[in-house]
Formats: sequence, structure tokens, C-alpha cells
Amino acid sequence: MDLLQNPEFGDKMVTLMAALVLVLQIAMVGQRWLVMNIRLFGAQSFLLGAIAAAIAWYNHAPHIYAAAGMTVAVKAILVPILLERLVDRIDIQHEIAPIINVPLSIVISGGLTLVAYTVGESFYHPHAREASLGHNTLAVAISLFLIGFFMMLNRRKALTQVLALLTLENGVFLAAICLTYGMPLIVEIGVFFDVLVAVLVLGILVFRIRESFESMDVSKLRRLRG
Amino acid sequence: MLLLLLLVVPLAAGAVSALARTRRTMETVNLAAFGLGFALSLALAAQVLSAGPVSLWGGFLYADHLSALVCLLTGSVALVCSAYAVGYLREDERSGIFDEDGIAGIAQFRKYYSLTPLFVFAMLLVALANNLGVMWVAIEATTLASVFLVTFHGRVTSLEAAWKYAIIGGVGLSMALFGTVLAYYSGHHLPGSDTLAGLNWSVLAGHAAQLDKTTMRLAFILALLGYGTKAGLAPMHTWKPDAYSEAPVPSAALLSSATLNCALYGLVRFYVLTSRCLGAEYPGGLLLVFGMLSMGISVPFVLVQKNFRRLLAYHTIDHAGIMVTALGIGGRLGALALMLHMTYHTVAKSLLFLCAGNVQQQFRTDLFDKVKGGVIRVMPVTGTVFLMAMLAIVGMPPFSLFQSEFLIVRAAFDAGHYVPTVLFILFGTGIFAGALLHVGGLVLGQGGEQPAATVHPWRDLPILALAAILAVIGFWLPAPLLDLIRGAALVVTGG
Repeated sequence: MDLLQNPEFGDKMVTLMAALVLVLQIAMVGQRWLVMNIRLFGAQSFLLGAIAAAIAWYNHAPHIYAAAGMTVAVKAILVPILLERLVDRIDIQHEIAPIINVPLSIVISGGLTLVAYTVGESFYHPHAREASLGHNTLAVAISLFLIGFFMMLNRRKALTQVLALLTLENGVFLAAICLTYGMPLIVEIGVFFDVLVAVLVLGILVFRIRESFESMDVSKLRRLRG
Repeated sequence: MLLLLLLVVPLAAGAVSALARTRRTMETVNLAAFGLGFALSLALAAQVLSAGPVSLWGGFLYADHLSALVCLLTGSVALVCSAYAVGYLREDERSGIFDEDGIAGIAQFRKYYSLTPLFVFAMLLVALANNLGVMWVAIEATTLASVFLVTFHGRVTSLEAAWKYAIIGGVGLSMALFGTVLAYYSGHHLPGSDTLAGLNWSVLAGHAAQLDKTTMRLAFILALLGYGTKAGLAPMHTWKPDAYSEAPVPSAALLSSATLNCALYGLVRFYVLTSRCLGAEYPGGLLLVFGMLSMGISVPFVLVQKNFRRLLAYHTIDHAGIMVTALGIGGRLGALALMLHMTYHTVAKSLLFLCAGNVQQQFRTDLFDKVKGGVIRVMPVTGTVFLMAMLAIVGMPPFSLFQSEFLIVRAAFDAGHYVPTVLFILFGTGIFAGALLHVGGLVLGQGGEQPAATVHPWRDLPILALAAILAVIGFWLPAPLLDLIRGAALVVTGG
């Protein structure tokens, strides 16, 4: 049980989990099946919750446990269930058609990770108080954010854009956890509430767009230009 | 106490309307709540003017002159729009627009009358939250509460518009959230910063000089991109014409005036932190770039526009650009011009949308071609007011927007920003020509065979009230309002 008290071990665990989060993000870029994508997102959120819990443990900051619990409950369980039910109900094509093909997308994601590391580096102040957890994790957070952006642009279908938006949010959450050990609890609760409502709102929109697509008149769509 | 009431009243009105059974109940509840809300925002302004900033719950809610001004503007637009909505929605029901999808009329009324108070609640919370994180949550909530107002008419195009609105807004705001996290981090070495108050604007602004400079630099860019998306600055403006032309008119009027103010409010809060930490040149330069871009992009779209509600939307992009430019120029004059312009624009733009709504309901179209002009003959009140508001908003003297735009040009010259000044005048001329050409033709043109419309008190009284305000503030700004505007400008410049 000595390891559980050793901050160096904690640091390594956090870095390892952050690396896994990044791997899952790139796997989402490469994955062509919608349901698999949702599950990868769920796994990624679960790891985020674990990172938050680890940081709470090693820094003796009990308020982060609440954030960790909410991440697991909302983003790792509730949101994936809602999204999978939506996929079942609207019976859409299960394959994602990205604009840029998969190998190139993965190369681009790698490039974005490098950019994120350079940006993250500039924030590293060794003299600042106990910033040891920050360095690698912040770079991962920025990569999540950038790759989420790229996913947003690279995908045309409504539901996959929702997923991209959620990974963007995951990036911000990770940044908040590693930079400042989370936001104040009330802000954290507000953000989770907004995420949940956003998923519901976007889900209803996806559902209604799908319903209208059957009888969608293309010439009407062109009206919203200029 | 006042702050709490201001938030609770619209929230309660939303809940009551969601449970109400008849249309009349919902209308009454909404009108009463917004009337009360307006009175409360006046009381708040009076209190701030007499006793300085008000706060509640250890600074969780906080209102200085700037918050009080934004609340007052939101409260007044919400009141006028709720009065206008009564006539507007009844007309929609009568003409059978509701029945297309077989949705019962009462469900549509319930949707409008329960979401609108929620929407207004979120906007008031933006102005009253001291904590930057809570402010972010509230701005995101304005988007979420208004998405289903954009899809109100249930057309395929409204779905497309709502989708763009929600997704572009969501991505933009996630950047703003990142900016907020970084702002929190930049003050994280200060003592006592890991409590809730560590993210309070009033606390951060007090220690702005000690904030970490590199972090603040990035935080401002992210906040600018994020809240700029919400304000519809180019090139993140693409959702705006769609959402404004698809939403029901009273919601569009709220979106284009009060919600724009909220987004700018968020930006101003970050600007103050950044300029106190890094000096005004860095955020000012960025703001000028986005301001010029927004003004420039809207010119061609205004010139060739075929749809009058989209014309107004591009016009709002132009004015968001103008206000951001004023903030970018900064200094005492720039800040004062921003606050004046925000006040004048709120009145004029909501008035324009309400007029456009009257024309649209009468002629059953929002295209210039199909109306064929002659609005002034068919609807004398709406036509006259429409033209007057248009003259006001393109900056014709003696109307008030001329003063604020002139002040911006003067401030820019004083500060030595010659290129932006020249561009500002150039773009302003383009907008002037385009907007007047189109709306002049619409109101005064030859016109078709439409008979004169019947007079509707619900339709005409709200626009007459706003028109009277617009005409009066062109010549005379009540002293307390001017004090409030000056106070708000002082929040920006400090001291």
C-alpha cells in the first residue's frame, strides 16, 4: 500500500492514463463505426474521471472527487446511453463518412498533438507550486481540444459532430483538472448540467432533422444562404 | 435581495407558463413577469447609481454600473417583446401557421411562453454572475434555451438554422470555457484562489497586475473567439442570418439586441482583465481586427440582400463589429462610445425586427421582391417607423446612433488609428447605401394591390413605444441613464 501514498507513482499513473485518453481520441478519429465511436467516447470519459479521482487522492483535495463522480455518471454512462438509444431509434447508417480519409486524418491528429506539446511547454513553470502533474497532462488536454476541432470539421453527419463537440469539452475538463485541480464545484456542476442539456437538445434536433430528411426539399435548403 | 428577485421572477414565470392550461394565462403571466422584471432592473440601476456596486451571497452575484446597464437593456427589450408577442402569436394561430405539422396551437404557445422567460433569466444571470465560470454557464444556457425558439415554426429551414446555431455556438463557447479555465489558472498563485471567489471577476480585476501574463494572453484570444462567436463576429458569424430569419420575430428581436449585449458583456469583462494585466494595446489590436472584418464582411451581403430579415441580421453583424471596434480603440472615449452605442443599438435593432415582423405577417413573405414595396400605404404606422428606425441605425443625424458612431471615429482619430478610421467610414457608407436602398424601396416603393391593413393595437403600440424612445434619446438622454452609461464606461477604463 506504500505505492498509494507515493506522489511519484501517482504522477506516473496520471501520465499513463492521460496517454490512454489521447490514444482513445486518435482511435475515434480512425474508427468508422458510429456505435464504436460512442463507446470510445464513454471509455475516454471514464479515464478522465479516473484521472480526476487520482489527482484528488494524491493532492488530498476531496472536492475533486465530486467532479470525478459527475464525469463518470454523466459523460461515461448517461451520455453514451442516450446517444446509443438515439442511434437505435433513428436507424441511421452506422458508418461515418469523413471528408479526409482515415490514414491522413490520423497523420493530421499526430501533427496536432505535436502542436499541442509545443503550446503546453510554454505554460510549464517549474517554480510554480506543485505543477508536476501539469506538464504532460496539459499537452494531452490541448491535443484533445485541437483534435476535437479537427473531427468537427472532418465530419458531415449531425451525430458525429455532437461527439466531436463532447470531446472538445473533455479536453477543457482535463485542462481544468491538471492546471487548477478543477474549477470551483458550483461552476463544475453548472458545466455538467449544460453538457447534459446540450446533448438532449442536440439529440432532439438530430432526431427531427432525420425525420425531415425523408421529405427534405433540397431547393428549400438553399434558401439559407447569402 | 434585488438581484435574487430579478433572477427568480422570470424563472418562476417560465415554470408557471409551462404548467398553465390556457393561452390567456400564459400571456398574462409573461406580461406581468416582464413588467415586474423591468421595474426591478430600473430599481437595480437606481441602487447602483446611488450606492455603487451591489453584491449578494459573498459576491456570488454582483452588479456594477455595467451589469445594471445590461440588465436594464435586457429588461426593457424583454418587456416590449412580450407585449408584441401576444399579437404576433395570435396572428400566427389565426392564419393557421401553427397547424402545419398538426401540433396543437396550445403546445406552441406553451413552448414560446415558457422558453422565453428561461432565455431572459439566462441573459440576466450573465450580467449578474460575478464568477466567470457561472457567467460562461449562463451564456451557454442562453443558447440552449433559445434553440427551440429558433425551431419554433418547425420548417426544414428552421431545423437547419437551429443546428448551425447550436453547433457553432457550442464549439465557440467551448473555446470560451477554455479561456475561462486559463483565466482561473493565471490567478492561481494568488492566496485564497482555490475557493469559489478565485474565479470572481471582481477579485481577478483587483489583482489583474499579478496575473500570469502568458496565460492571460492565451485566455483572452480564446475568450475573444468564444464570446465573439456568440456575438456573431466574422468569420464566426454564419449562424446568425439563419437563426435571426427563422426564429419568431419577438425571439429574433431579443437575440439580435439583448443576447448580443450579453456576449459583448462577456468580452468586456475579459478585456478589462487583459488590459489591466498586459496593457490595452494587445487586446485592442485583436478586437480591431475582428471589428473591421465583421464590418467589412457584412457590406456586400447587405448590398445584395433579397430577404429583409437577413438584411437586419447582417446589419447586426456590422454593429457587433462597430461595438468591438469601439472597445478595441479603448480609452475613455472608446469605452463611452461602446456603452452609448450598445444602448442605442438595442432600442433601434429590436424596433427594426418588430417592424419587419409586422410586414412579414401582413404580406406573408420576407422577401423584398414579393412585397413589391408600398408598405407605407398598406401599414402607415409600421412603414413610417420602419423607415425612421432604418435611418437611425445607419447613422443619420439627428438620431442617436450618429452620435455614438461619430464618437467612435473621433476616439479612433485621437488614438491615432487612421487605417481603421478610414475603413470604418468606408464600410459605414456601404451599409448606409445598401440598407437605405432596400428598405426605402420596401416602404416607399410603388407597391402591389394590397388593401390597407386593419389597425392592430398589439402590433402597433409596442413599436410606437420603442419609436418614441428612439426619437427622444436622439436629442435628450435622461441624466440618470447618462450617469449609468458613464459608470459602465468607467468599469472598462478603471478608476
